[in-house]
Amino acid sequence: MRRAHLLGLGFMTPALFIIVFLFLAPVVLTMMFSFTNMSSGTGISSGGAYEVTERTIRLLKDQGFPETTADRLAEDTYKIDAAGLAAVQADFGKAFAQEIEAELSGKSFAGRRDLERELKRLKERPRSTRDLKKAADLFKRSILNTRFETEQAFLTSVDELDLGLGETETAELTRTAYTGWVWTTENYRLIASLPSTLRAAGNTLIYVSFTLAFSIGFGLFLAVTTFYLPSGVATTFRTIWFLPRILPPVIYVMMWKWMAWDTGFLSSFLAHFGVPPRNWMLHSDINAWVVVVLINGFVGASLGMILFSSAIKAIPETMLHASEVDGANRLQQIRYIIMPQLRWPILFTTAYQTLSLLTSFDYIYLSTDGGPGKATEVWALYTFHTALNNYGGVLQYGLGAALAMVLVVIGIAAALIYLRLFNFNDLVAKPRIEQ
Amino acid sequence: MRIALENFTKTFGETTVIDNMSLTIDSGEMLALLGPSGCGKSTTLFAVCGIHRMDGGRLLFGERDVTTLPSQQRNVGVVFQNYALYPHMTVHENIAFPLKVRRENRADIARKVEKIAGLVQIGELMARRPAQLSGGQQQRVALARALVREPDILLLDEPLANLDAKLRLEMRSEIRRIQQETGITAVLVTHDQVEAMSMCDRIAIMNRGEIVQLSSPSEMYDNPSSDFVAGFLGNPPIAFLDGTTEEGGFRLANSRVTLPIPSNLAIAGSGVPMRLGVRPEFFQPGNPLKVTGKVSFVEIQGREELYDVTLENGAVLRSIQPHGGNHKLGDEVTWGIAQDRILAFGPDGSRL
Amino acid sequence: MRPNFRIWPILVLLSILSLPLVLMYFYLVVDTVTDTTAGSLLPDRFTLEHWKFLFEKPETGRASIWPVTANTFLFASSTSLIVVMISLTAGYALSRLNMPFRKFFLGGILTLHAFPTVTLIIAIFLMLQMSGLYNTLIGVILVKTALELPLGIWIMKGFYDTVPWEIEMAGITDGASRFTVWWKLVLPQVQPGIAALALFSFLEAWKEFILPQVLAPSGASQVLATYLQNTIMDDRKPDFNLFKSIGLFYALPVILIYVVFNRKLMNIYGGGTKG
Repeated sequence: MRRAHLLGLGFMTPALFIIVFLFLAPVVLTMMFSFTNMSSGTGISSGGAYEVTERTIRLLKDQGFPETTADRLAEDTYKIDAAGLAAVQADFGKAFAQEIEAELSGKSFAGRRDLERELKRLKERPRSTRDLKKAADLFKRSILNTRFETEQAFLTSVDELDLGLGETETAELTRTAYTGWVWTTENYRLIASLPSTLRAAGNTLIYVSFTLAFSIGFGLFLAVTTFYLPSGVATTFRTIWFLPRILPPVIYVMMWKWMAWDTGFLSSFLAHFGVPPRNWMLHSDINAWVVVVLINGFVGASLGMILFSSAIKAIPETMLHASEVDGANRLQQIRYIIMPQLRWPILFTTAYQTLSLLTSFDYIYLSTDGGPGKATEVWALYTFHTALNNYGGVLQYGLGAALAMVLVVIGIAAALIYLRLFNFNDLVAKPRIEQ
Repeated sequence: MRIALENFTKTFGETTVIDNMSLTIDSGEMLALLGPSGCGKSTTLFAVCGIHRMDGGRLLFGERDVTTLPSQQRNVGVVFQNYALYPHMTVHENIAFPLKVRRENRADIARKVEKIAGLVQIGELMARRPAQLSGGQQQRVALARALVREPDILLLDEPLANLDAKLRLEMRSEIRRIQQETGITAVLVTHDQVEAMSMCDRIAIMNRGEIVQLSSPSEMYDNPSSDFVAGFLGNPPIAFLDGTTEEGGFRLANSRVTLPIPSNLAIAGSGVPMRLGVRPEFFQPGNPLKVTGKVSFVEIQGREELYDVTLENGAVLRSIQPHGGNHKLGDEVTWGIAQDRILAFGPDGSRL
Repeated sequence: MRPNFRIWPILVLLSILSLPLVLMYFYLVVDTVTDTTAGSLLPDRFTLEHWKFLFEKPETGRASIWPVTANTFLFASSTSLIVVMISLTAGYALSRLNMPFRKFFLGGILTLHAFPTVTLIIAIFLMLQMSGLYNTLIGVILVKTALELPLGIWIMKGFYDTVPWEIEMAGITDGASRFTVWWKLVLPQVQPGIAALALFSFLEAWKEFILPQVLAPSGASQVLATYLQNTIMDDRKPDFNLFKSIGLFYALPVILIYVVFNRKLMNIYGGGTKG
């Protein structure tokens, strides 16, 4: 290894360090998470316990578990077994215990009352009703809301309930009762089958295509028109249209809210023409889409305007003068002189914006947050909602990670295509000093 | 110091740019590497100063083998085409830089900088920045910076290419003066034959990664080893006549015109392709070996006049004559060639 | 400019299209010092009421703005500093130094640039929770730095690419080491690039909303973006005059930087995003 190699790697080290820990590690972790069912319920540390809760029972029923059996899981069962008998012997004496064993051994009861009735018939029973209840309670076996640290302990307790579960049902119960996370490909199956992912994909398509068309078209319009204006006026307009890009998104969207909300400027203005006030941002799906496309489109047009303007400025003055001398009118000049020069910047902007629109969601999150309903929830926002910002309660890290992986794959694929498209090999000319 | 390049080979990826080249530069000599762009002359220069690694061969500075030595330890001074002055430093700081990185003491640095500044005559510019200097002044600063640490060899990469015509003339003699005053071994890389001929003791003319001929300027002009060398040197350039050998002479292609060939040549036989080179100063009205053609181009240069004469088969001869000839475009003229100055080349371009 | 073309139709068209934005900007400023009667379009009273938040602790349990501003400044300037420092060395290595995997690194940087926040944020959220950096400014700074880094390195590489090779060649034949060449000869040439990248990263961090919102939602490490958004979301009855005052206060550094360093920034906003 030559010394310059060491210097080069040394110079790269800080960057590599950050990239490995904050880019590669998260991507690898995301990939791993996407194959788990991690959520805020399971936690993220490995290992979990077995516990049947109300939620477990609900889930079991949803999965087609026999309803009555599921309900039984929630109820107390009274089972005459050795452990209970021993407890009775300790508290109420050997005689009572032996009598119970003789009369009721092996039986189980679905409720305390049934057991109490049986116990009342026994001769050696305690006299007070309170003691009788206490004795009955010694046979109570319940698994509801009890944590079992091992699968073995859990299954033993389930057995005690005498539910008569088959093998598949036992497995299903065990899986559902597990509180930790497990490896699974379920997330990808869900992505393929859930109607909400399909809707998010459709929304993304609408969002990207309309916003892209608007930014490129309007960016071109701004670049070309300001080119023909005196420089002072042009600068003014360019500043007006550049600000959306440079202003913090929170402020920019706040201004839109001021414009569009039911107490906002637009409603107040239209009230003069008898239009009742309404929230123009969220009143209907169409309203929401228009706002979403405009909010993002203005920002996109800013970028387009800047890139196209500098490309137009690079056209030699003489070429434009020549076209005028040749008698071209303004439209012809735009069509035949300016547009051909913009082919490359347009291609670049389209490529760049497609990718960034596909994955950006800040402006939507701040404005409609996917509403009304989920009408404007794009894939990235859907991912974000699923994993990190879910008002429904449980944050589904695993599913969110799987949704994010889809974007990662698209991102890498697009980046590789762009590297070819934009002549990557030209960018990596070898260093001219060969040390 | 004597510089020797032995069996130097350089490849870029798959392509071999220079294959097995050897070259020796004598101590105190100024040698030109002359050739068209892409001939490998800059590559050679970069290899000598250590910016490029050598893929084969050895490089000797005197007796010292510097082949694998990094540039920093070679003690070479380089003047680049665009001078490569450090824009954020004053002239003084620029010149002092090589001494500073060698950690010489301040008094020494000040003394040496002043001395070299006097030599290249920029004493009054020391506080300026490169952007405030004219092209010629920048050139002098670059020279001073290259020379201040008393290098074993001075390398000049197209040093005059960025100057206007008048400054170029002035700097040509300046560089030569400075080189001779310091007695330093120098290599000049250029594509301009006038520069090479006027400034250097010897010229190595290069083509496609090879040294085609290495000799003094006048020797190379009078005795080119190939038609490439003959065509490269001389302005206006030499004119070539293609044809074949014939009993007792040379027959111009597609024509009945025959010329005797120089008497010192042994002819290989009849019908062999051959090429004759005639320099413009040897095609004059007064010379004996007459050829007839039409004046097809006239350029009045003031002191001299340049004519192209198209022969009946379409071949063109060039003539340069003192002012006052008054030949017009389309005139039919019969001028003569100086027979003993004809250069004859074989089918592969080598001198016969 | 071109006399045989009429300018006014363009002017009128552009003015109409720009009207919504102009109205937004106009009222953003005017509403902070005036009151408007409900239903009316034009303000009718001058007041400094809306700027009270600068001096008094707000009654609604919101934090005072100054610690939040300090947080934001710390966040933006640290991010900018780290991005610039790391890009300075990495950009140089990619632009000028021979090293193994150079092409791979270059492609990698470009590919990483295509990685959006949302693909990383889930894992980062969990990583920060595990490492105890969740809800701290340091965590947000690190993550924002990482996300800005690929673009920063690429921009810096672009600036290094414009430095003539001959300057470095002259440096090494003058006897300077590659490190000295970089430090003494090349760095001074890319100073405008350093300034532009520093300003650009500062602005990007100053504007950032999603990262602090997700990774440091608690009060102590709040920044202006989350502070303003929370204020907007908190109020049952939106008080746009207050929002705008806070907003204008928040936007002031951005506008200031834009006005003063317009040309430097355009270096990046104009061409730097390439790649």
